[in-house]
Amino acid sequence: MIEDSGFVDVRIGPPVDTFGGAKGEPNARKFAVFGYAFIGRKP
Amino acid sequence: MSETVDSAALREEVRKKYRDVAIRPNDKYHFHTGRPLAARLGYDRRAVSAMPDEAVESFAGVANPFSLRDLKPGERVVDLGSGAGFDSFIAVGMVGATGHVIGVDMTEEMLAKSRGTAKAMGLGNVEFREGILEELPVDDGWADVVISNGVINLCADKQQVFGEIQRALKPGGYLQFADIANGKPVPASAVANIDLWTA
Repeated sequence: MIEDSGFVDVRIGPPVDTFGGAKGEPNARKFAVFGYAFIGRKP
Repeated sequence: MSETVDSAALREEVRKKYRDVAIRPNDKYHFHTGRPLAARLGYDRRAVSAMPDEAVESFAGVANPFSLRDLKPGERVVDLGSGAGFDSFIAVGMVGATGHVIGVDMTEEMLAKSRGTAKAMGLGNVEFREGILEELPVDDGWADVVISNGVINLCADKQQVFGEIQRALKPGGYLQFADIANGKPVPASAVANIDLWTA
């Protein structure tokens, strides 16, 4: 979606276990949800 | 027929949830908050330690938007869904006195908290504006960088949000944000369930 929106040089950082140990962990595990850093540049 | 989420109802639920995080940051939520979360996500320890509790305690991000690129002195930054201001204050530390940061948030209690903290910290180059990500209160081409943390996933119309980011950025400007992504498909019935977006 980021590239579809016109951004270039898009990069994604490694997954972060954002919800580990929090109340939301079961849902996060169910759908393999992780946090990520994203970067893109407007041409 | 695919099920979709009611965007107005979703926005109201998000507002309600983050009002609670502003007022009662030490309650238990489905996500981590505050200084322990900042440490978990790899933020610069010295920068976080230097902040007052009010700047950090309601932080509820999902990763570190500064991990792939440091901001540069003098840059103009827009922080989408700035909450109580944590990422905006980190950004101010990076862009310095010649830079400027605009935080945008729709929750009155978060705006009151971030504005109060900025004043207490004596920061003149950060401001917090009321608004939604689908209609950013920022001039065309004003920003060198747009940041965000765990907020775009809470917007029903992501195409509109990315369009607004494009409008606000200068040519050559950066979008650097943190958000969640699922590795397993989420069924349509779950997508339509607002409780699963916010809890």
